[in-house]
Amino acid sequence: MEFLSFIIFLIIATALGLVLMFISNFLGKKVKITRKNDIYESGVNPVGSATRQYDIKFYLTAILFLLFDVEIVFLLPWALNYHNAANTGFMVAGFVFFMVVLLVGYIFVINSKALKWEE
Amino acid sequence: MLEGILEILIKTVVILGIPLGALPIIIHVERRGAGFIQRRLGPNRVGPFGLLQPLADVAKFMFKEEVHPSHVRPFFYTAAPVIALTVALLPLACIPLAAPFDVFGTTYFPEVFRSDMGIFFAFAVSALGSYGILLAGWASNSKFTMLGALRACAQMVSYELSLSTAIVAMIFVFGTNDIHQIAAAQTGYWFGFLPKWGVFMQPLAAMLFLVGIFAESNRLPFDLAEGESEIVAGYHLEYSSMKFAIFFMAEYVHMIALSALFIIFFFGGYSVLPGLDLISTDSSPFVLPVLQAVSFITKIAVMIWIFVWVRWTLPRFRYDQLMDLGWRRLLPLGIVNLIATVLFVYFRNQ
Repeated sequence: MEFLSFIIFLIIATALGLVLMFISNFLGKKVKITRKNDIYESGVNPVGSATRQYDIKFYLTAILFLLFDVEIVFLLPWALNYHNAANTGFMVAGFVFFMVVLLVGYIFVINSKALKWEE
Repeated sequence: MLEGILEILIKTVVILGIPLGALPIIIHVERRGAGFIQRRLGPNRVGPFGLLQPLADVAKFMFKEEVHPSHVRPFFYTAAPVIALTVALLPLACIPLAAPFDVFGTTYFPEVFRSDMGIFFAFAVSALGSYGILLAGWASNSKFTMLGALRACAQMVSYELSLSTAIVAMIFVFGTNDIHQIAAAQTGYWFGFLPKWGVFMQPLAAMLFLVGIFAESNRLPFDLAEGESEIVAGYHLEYSSMKFAIFFMAEYVHMIALSALFIIFFFGGYSVLPGLDLISTDSSPFVLPVLQAVSFITKIAVMIWIFVWVRWTLPRFRYDQLMDLGWRRLLPLGIVNLIATVLFVYFRNQ
């Protein structure tokens, strides 16, 4: 029943977006000018394609985000189970060890200048 | 079964109707607020106090010509606005406006999607917001949109890290991930006057979370996705008419959802506001849920005003400053806050 409610919500939300989007397809006026459909480039002819090479920093940011976010996601079940644990000292020791590993990785990333944008 | 589906439908319509109905009001408040802050009038011609201006804008968007650029990837170009809006609406499914209440022996749950992982679900789907932006920028197949999308995505994922550390700290402090229990834990007062809100327990986490939701919803001072002087309009440059408007609707709905999550953790969720809790709730089973819903919506309205206030007060960051702040300042701050919280709780309980 819970997942049925979620699916109904998802369907209605998607339908809302679709209806809103196609509404101006019916109501809007239709003009056929081919120049109008060109790439926006401040009035000059575009040079090269849009899928050119972009800065490697974007890729590094995405990869590092994955690494750090997975490590933070690991902490969520830990934080939930902490208050039910019999031996909290062991939980905290594990947490501190985990954070030390995380910090070593973080210091390595900062020192390797992977996240230095100003140049 | 049929009754259950009817209940779900009613809840869905209400939960979707409140934010979408509030959208024109929020946009109006934003524009009038801009006028107020910049000592000018703002829209005041259409209707009383310009109140009908947002409706006129929507009508205008509907009747505009829909440009179909020739260079786009058509399927993803069409799908991107729908994905952006749907993903922005989804977190609202598991945000309750009031506590579960009993009417004639039946317990009603005010949220649509009741799950013990509701809060994680809300964060998971709100993080999907970057997909709508990335798809829009990539599918538009233009350099400006591609750069705008890349910048927006890199910014959103960077600030999600410090936001996540704040969430871990709050989950740890409350010891539960159930929204109702989190709200119950924040009901009442310390020393008789200070509300038991999370912001007083974890001020640093509240600060990280607040900065995180500004960056997640691409609002100033974090609206690098649409820096006019560099990349014109950013990821929605090639969109027109209602498709263009949908991105803005998605941004505002995303703001509402993230404000609601912020309030759940740091300002007591639907716990009744100080002052309103003097009203007696014994006369009818509906009084308490109504008071809770009013409190929650009032808190969200205040948050929205803070969004507007900040937007018209602070200038935009430079991109390297933005990434520097996210990765080299806020992330270590979040980790240190988490370690300090854990050690404090551990040694206090010894």
